[in-house]
Amino acid sequence: MTVTTVKESPSYELNRRKAIRRKQLTPWLLMLPALVIVLIFFGIPTLYMLRMSFNLHIGQRLYVPGFTFEHYVNLFANPLFTNAIWTTVQLSLLSSLCTVLIGYGFAVLVWLKPAKWRLLFIGLALCPLLISEIAIIFGWWMFFPKNGLLSYALLSSGLITDKISLMYTEFAAFVGLVYVTLPYCFFILLSIFDGIDKRMLEASADLGAPPFMSFREVLLPLTRSGLLVAFSQSFIWTIGTYATPSALGPDTLWTMGYLIQEQMLGKHNWPMASAFSMVLVVGVACAMALTRSLMSKRTSFHV
Amino acid sequence: MSDIVMTDGTTPRRSLEPAIFRMLGLAFTVFIVAYILIPIVVTLVMSFNDAAMIRFPINDWSLKWYRDFFGSPQWTDALMNSIVIAVGTAAISTTSGILAAWAFERFHFPFKDLWYLLIMLPLFMPGVVLGLGVAIAFGGLQIGGYSIYGSRELVMVAHSLWAMPLVFMLMEATFRTIDYRVIEASYDLGARPARTFFEIVIPMVSTGIISSALFAFVISLNEFVMALFLTDRDTQTLPVLMWLSLRSAGTPRLAVASVILALAVFACLTLIMIWYVRQLRKVAR
Repeated sequence: MTVTTVKESPSYELNRRKAIRRKQLTPWLLMLPALVIVLIFFGIPTLYMLRMSFNLHIGQRLYVPGFTFEHYVNLFANPLFTNAIWTTVQLSLLSSLCTVLIGYGFAVLVWLKPAKWRLLFIGLALCPLLISEIAIIFGWWMFFPKNGLLSYALLSSGLITDKISLMYTEFAAFVGLVYVTLPYCFFILLSIFDGIDKRMLEASADLGAPPFMSFREVLLPLTRSGLLVAFSQSFIWTIGTYATPSALGPDTLWTMGYLIQEQMLGKHNWPMASAFSMVLVVGVACAMALTRSLMSKRTSFHV
Repeated sequence: MSDIVMTDGTTPRRSLEPAIFRMLGLAFTVFIVAYILIPIVVTLVMSFNDAAMIRFPINDWSLKWYRDFFGSPQWTDALMNSIVIAVGTAAISTTSGILAAWAFERFHFPFKDLWYLLIMLPLFMPGVVLGLGVAIAFGGLQIGGYSIYGSRELVMVAHSLWAMPLVFMLMEATFRTIDYRVIEASYDLGARPARTFFEIVIPMVSTGIISSALFAFVISLNEFVMALFLTDRDTQTLPVLMWLSLRSAGTPRLAVASVILALAVFACLTLIMIWYVRQLRKVAR
């Protein structure tokens, strides 16, 4: 870095070149482990999966090398698969919407509450994030069924006379999905709210705006990009998840993640599972790209 | 717009509204607290159940299922596998993530945005897709008679696909906060870049490193979709075993396993807190 003498000797020139080359090489050496992981264990499998999705599936064999569009055609022609895609998208959109609504309310609550409550609420929001999805599933699995806590609580409070079961319903799957995505949404939105000056709401109220108007005219425009990010985050998360809906939902609730697992481990049809995965990857990438483009437009509009 | 004159809040409409909003706020608070706590409390309570069935109300309490969990080699082996894989994931992803973040923070190189996207991309991929891809790409591979598929090492690397981008993100933010004049001073005093990195930079960002390592540990400990695709009977992790036994029959043993997983995670969190407080004290001194 600090060269004190300027010698034009050949050895100096050589050393200098070496140093420059070393300096150019250093970032690549530093990135090497990360790139090895990403390229070998993410890049190659993805390409392999792409190739696999065009292979043939004959009889009981996992796959037969070949080239066919059969699986993609099947994916969009077979009502079983199109229904699964449709169900997944619907479930993801609906549960993301619900997550964003609850997360927004939660974030506003924490933002407006005095500081002493803040840490408590943040700790609470961290719980679903830090607990394994399987433990969460199991928790709801004990809450919803006929002999579960919900039925018992309602029965002993006298609200119902017969045991009820909400287990294996779409509602249960929905509750589980929202639970898993809520913390992500909450933290994204809270970080947006923390950048807003609370006195804006006071100013709005002082100018005579009723609370709903303050919300619509002040709070909503300021948090629009955060809402978008939170929504797309939970959408991306829910579209790929399969454990929660398949464990809590009805047997007929076939999501894409469930079908991938079923084709892979149950039917041993690797090409079909790969074709399904590719569609999922493209879907996630589209959702990400869409959010980014909407966001950049939004911010450039505001700034 | 006509009530713009109400500046002092004495009109009845404004005094009524806050009461309603306070009630709504309270109701929402109760709802959210209950929502988040229900599965946690249910699991905790069920783990002390004495009966073999999952049903409410619980009549007898005991530590029976805890004894059962630690007495069953299948479950303790799964716990051991989980811990080994999580430690491995933490080591792999912390090392690679820190180095990559340092490269991004201190060096210029072509296509930086593209490399950034590439490193972050696996974090947004569904576990099902990552697990399937790694399983079919490395399914039949053997190195020196040692089967890669089903090995703990493969699961470690697969989990690093999620943990490493997270470490990378966290460390990039941490590196941005350090005072680069200290590094320049170290260079001026004659320290080589490597020595500066290990003796000056690493101690400065120790809190970030500890937190990212523990987060990587927690991610790996909790993950089960990738592990489901990549493990066999001998290497299956605790969440995988829980998932498989939930599919057959749920017993209070599962609740015990959940509690133990959660305890491990909260132990990690406590460690981060203790470290953080210690660092703060050091700075204060």
